[in-house]
Formats: sequence, structure tokens, C-alpha cells
Amino acid sequence: MDRLAEAERLRVAVLEARQRIAPLVPDIDPGDLLLILQSLLRPIGTGRRFFLRKRDSGGYVF
Amino acid sequence: MSSDELFLQEVVAALDRVGLEAIVVGTVAGVLNGAPVMTQDLDLLVRDTPRNREKIAKLSAALRIAAPVEVSELSRALTLLGGALPIDILFDALPGGLSFEALRSRSSRVQIGDSAATVAALADVIASKEAAGRPKDLAQLPILRDTQRIRGALKGGTST
Repeated sequence: MDRLAEAERLRVAVLEARQRIAPLVPDIDPGDLLLILQSLLRPIGTGRRFFLRKRDSGGYVF
Repeated sequence: MSSDELFLQEVVAALDRVGLEAIVVGTVAGVLNGAPVMTQDLDLLVRDTPRNREKIAKLSAALRIAAPVEVSELSRALTLLGGALPIDILFDALPGGLSFEALRSRSSRVQIGDSAATVAALADVIASKEAAGRPKDLAQLPILRDTQRIRGALKGGTST
């Protein structure tokens, strides 16, 4: 699956999941809900990044 | 695959090659359970046996990184330096009285490329961070707990 098609598949899955479960978790921030759903529904192996690397300058890159 | 996923794939494949049974724990286990969190290292839990100590040395060689070094004089934990990212090796149990056997019994297998990693359950990741109690652990707890609730809701269970 190409990158654009994969992104569209994820968008649809996230929006469907949000519609279904948002009423069950009303106290969770809507932005956090979207962030978590995207992370939950995006399979490992599709370009996820989760390691922070510290630069010599003291800043971080990921 | 991103460079992070490739790194994980390389480590998991190397664990298979040297025959070292390890459970992915800590923040990376949280990530593999779907949490949107980040970290600076990979934590692996293994049983502390002479044979596994040999396998850890072989793991370093398989990954073409430096030999294991002790994290501190007060800890048995080892760290493997010189790779893309540090790999911490923890022995036998995590804070909170979470034994290797108990963690393994609740773990899941997550496919990463051609290999599968044994990954601690999100509830155990949360429990270990609660027990560790360091600021960097406590800071991740809200998003890990929310992820746990949303996973439950997605599966049709309770959200609390």
C-alpha cells in the first residue's frame, strides 16, 4: 500500500473509532484521544518514530 | 519502516539469533502497546543465569556494539552502548514486584519485520512505572493510563 493510501486508511479508521468511543471517555482531552487512536491504530512497520536522540548541542531529534 | 522500527527489528532478530529470551519492557513496551510516548533507550528484561550472561555478550557481538557495562555499582542492570541507541538489560524483575514469569504470562507477541518480540502488557508497564516513581516515569503515567482506557473501550470493555 502506498503512503497516501495508508494515510487515508488510518484517517478513516481513527475517525470511525473516535465516533464510536468518544462518548465512553468524555474526560479525555479530544486532542489526546486523536493522538492515542492514531498511535493505537497505526501498525508497527509503517514509519512510526518513538526514540529521542540527544544532539551534542543539547537539543533532541527524533 | 522508520529508523526506529528498523533498530527494533535488528535487536529482536539478534535476540532470536543468540537464543536470548527477553521481554520488551518500559516505554518501548508502551509504544508497542499503542501509547504515543517517546524514550531514549530500549529496556529488556531477562532471567539472570550464567547462560544468559553469555548470551548477552553474544548479543553485543551480534549487534556489533560494545560489551555490556554495569549501569551502577548498586544495580545488576547492564547497558549496551555504541549502537544506534542504548539497550538496557534488566534482570529477573521490575519495580512493583513484577517477576519475569508473571510479566511473560501476561505479555503479547508483536511482529516486527521478520521477527516477533515478546512485549510486556500495558498494565504491567504502568504498574512498573508507578512503582519506580521517578519523575520521568510519573510524567508518562497520564498518557499511558488514557491509552489503557481507550484500548479497553475499543475492545468493547469498560473505559475505566
